[in-house]
Amino acid sequence: MILRHRIARIALIAALLLSSMPAVAESVLLTLTGAVTDGRVDLTRADFDAMDWHELATSTSVTDHQPEFRGVLMRDILARAGAEGSHVRATALNDYVVDIPIEDFHRFDVLAALYMDGVPLTPRDKGPVWIVYPRDDHSVLADIRYDMRWVWQLVALHVQ
Amino acid sequence: MTTRQEWIRYLGLGGLVLICLGLLGLAAWQLVQLERQMRIDATENMIWVFGQAQIEAMNLALALSDEMPPQQIQTRFDVLLSRLTLLEEGPQRRFLENAGISETLAGWRSGLLALDPMQGADPAALRAHVTALVAALRGKASLVMSYEWQIQAERLDRLGRLHRLALVSVLGAALAGLGLAAILIDRERRLMRGRLDRLRAEKLAGDLERERETSENNRRFADLIAHQLRTPLAVIDSAMHRLTRRGGPVSPELVSEKVAVSREAVARLVKLTDTALMMSRLERDAVLPHLSAHDLRDLVTSVIDDLVVTAQDRDPSRIRQQAQAAPMVALCDPALTGEILSNLFCNALLYSPLDCRVDVEVSQSPTHIVCRVEDRGRGMSAEEIARAFDRFYRGSGHETLPGSGLGLTLARHLARMQGGEVSLMPRAGGGLAAALYLPREVSA
Repeated sequence: MILRHRIARIALIAALLLSSMPAVAESVLLTLTGAVTDGRVDLTRADFDAMDWHELATSTSVTDHQPEFRGVLMRDILARAGAEGSHVRATALNDYVVDIPIEDFHRFDVLAALYMDGVPLTPRDKGPVWIVYPRDDHSVLADIRYDMRWVWQLVALHVQ
Repeated sequence: MTTRQEWIRYLGLGGLVLICLGLLGLAAWQLVQLERQMRIDATENMIWVFGQAQIEAMNLALALSDEMPPQQIQTRFDVLLSRLTLLEEGPQRRFLENAGISETLAGWRSGLLALDPMQGADPAALRAHVTALVAALRGKASLVMSYEWQIQAERLDRLGRLHRLALVSVLGAALAGLGLAAILIDRERRLMRGRLDRLRAEKLAGDLERERETSENNRRFADLIAHQLRTPLAVIDSAMHRLTRRGGPVSPELVSEKVAVSREAVARLVKLTDTALMMSRLERDAVLPHLSAHDLRDLVTSVIDDLVVTAQDRDPSRIRQQAQAAPMVALCDPALTGEILSNLFCNALLYSPLDCRVDVEVSQSPTHIVCRVEDRGRGMSAEEIARAFDRFYRGSGHETLPGSGLGLTLARHLARMQGGEVSLMPRAGGGLAAALYLPREVSA
C-alpha cells in the first residue's frame, strides 16, 4: 500500500518533471481563436519574449498598493495574431468570460501582464496572464465597467 | 429714515445674501459628495468573489472524488488557491475582517498549500481538507451576503441623507432668495415712488413759476396798455379842449388840423386794441393759419398802400419797394402775413429819421421767400437784438415812442405758425435789417 503510493508518487513527479522540462519554453500561455491567422494562434512564452515588453504601475481594485506590472501590450498580441474584429471574448482558468471591445486596447495602453512587482504571475495567483488597464492615468477607467475587464488567469481570447 | 435703521436694513440684506450663497455652496458640496459616493467599487462585489471561492472548492472536491487526470486536479487546485489568495489581499481581507469571518478563514490556505498534489501530497488528506473547506465556506457565505447588503443599505442611507440635506439647502437658499427679491422689489418701489414725488414737485414748481410769469406779464401788459391808451386819449382831449375853448371863433383850418390829430390818435388806439386782441387769441390758440399760395410782392404792395392811409405822420412814402420781375410765391396766410409786414414796416418808419428812406426787397432762396426791410436809423446792438423778441421789451431810449412791446413777439409768433421766421440783423452801413422768411410754394 505504502509502496504503491510511493511508486505512484515518484511516477507522478517524474511525469511532471518530464512534461515540465520542455514546457518551460513550449507550454502555451495564451490561445487566440476566431478571426485570427488560420483561425487559431497559440502563444508561448517564447512568443511573448519576441515582443516589446512594457512596464506599468497602477492601483487595482483588489490590491492596496500600486503594483508594478510587466508584460506586452494587448494590441501587440492581437497584431501578432493577425486579429480582425471588434471584440475579444476573454476566458480565464476559472471559466470567467467577458467581452472586451478591441477599441479599448487602442485607446489605452492595456497590458497583458506576466509579472507583478517583479514576480512571475502563476495560476495560483493571477497568472499566467492578467489584463491590466492603466487605471491611474485615465479617470474614466476607475469604473466597475472597466474593472470587469481586468481578466486574471487569462488563457484564451476569441476574436469576433 | 435714521442711519440706524438703514444700517439694520443693510445688515439684513447682506445676511440674506450670505445665507443664500452659503446654502447654495453647501448644496453644491453635498452634491459633489453624492456624486463621489455613487461610484461602484469591485470590492463591493464580495458576494461574487466569495461565491467563486466556494465554487472552486467544490470543483476541486469534485475533481478529486471523480479521480480526474492529475493535470486537471492541479489546475483546480491552483485556481482554488488563487481565490483564497485573493480573499487575503488588502480590500478583500478588510471586508472579511469587518464581517468577522477573516479569523475563521485564516489557515485554510496554508493548509491547502501543505497538501499540494504537485509536491506529492496525499490525495485523501487533500480531499478531506477541501471537503471541510467547502463546508466552512458554505457556512460563511450567508454572513458575507448579509454584511454586503448591510454595507449597501448603509451607503444608500448615506446617499439619501446627503440628498435630503442638499434638497433642504436648496430650499433654504430659495427662501433666502425670495426674501432678497422681496426686499429688492420693495426698495425699487420706494425709489420709484420717491422719483415720482420729485417729478411731481418739479412740475408743481414749474407750474408755479409759469403762473408767476404770466401774472407778471399781465401786470406789465396792463401798465403798458394804460400808458399807451393814455397818450392818444390825452391828444384827443387836448384837441377837443382847444376846439371848445371859449373865445374867438374857431377857424376851419384849426378844426381840420385837430380832427386829423384826433383821428390819428384813434387809429393808434384801434391798432393797439387789435394787437392786444390778437395776442390774447394767440394765447388761447384760437388762431389757425389758412395757408395758400400768394405772391409776397403783392402783399407788400397792399400793406404799403394801407400804411399810406393809417401812418401819415411817419411819411410812408419813404418806403421803396425794389422792383422784382419774377413772381415770389409763398405758402402763407395773407391776413397773418399782412400783420407781420405791417409791423416790420411800422417799426422801420418809427425808428428811423423822417428824411431817410426804408428799403423793402423780396427775394427767394431754394426753400424760402424772403422779405427784407432795411432802415437807416440808430440800429440795435447784438444784446438788444437778442432780447428784441421778448414780450414787452422796448429798445433803450425808445420808451417814449408809441408801441406795446408786443409787435416783434407777435410777428415772430405768426411767422412760425406758417413755418417761417422773423429775424433781425444790423444793416451794413448803419441801421437795422429785419427779414421775414416764409416757405416757398412748391408747385407740383
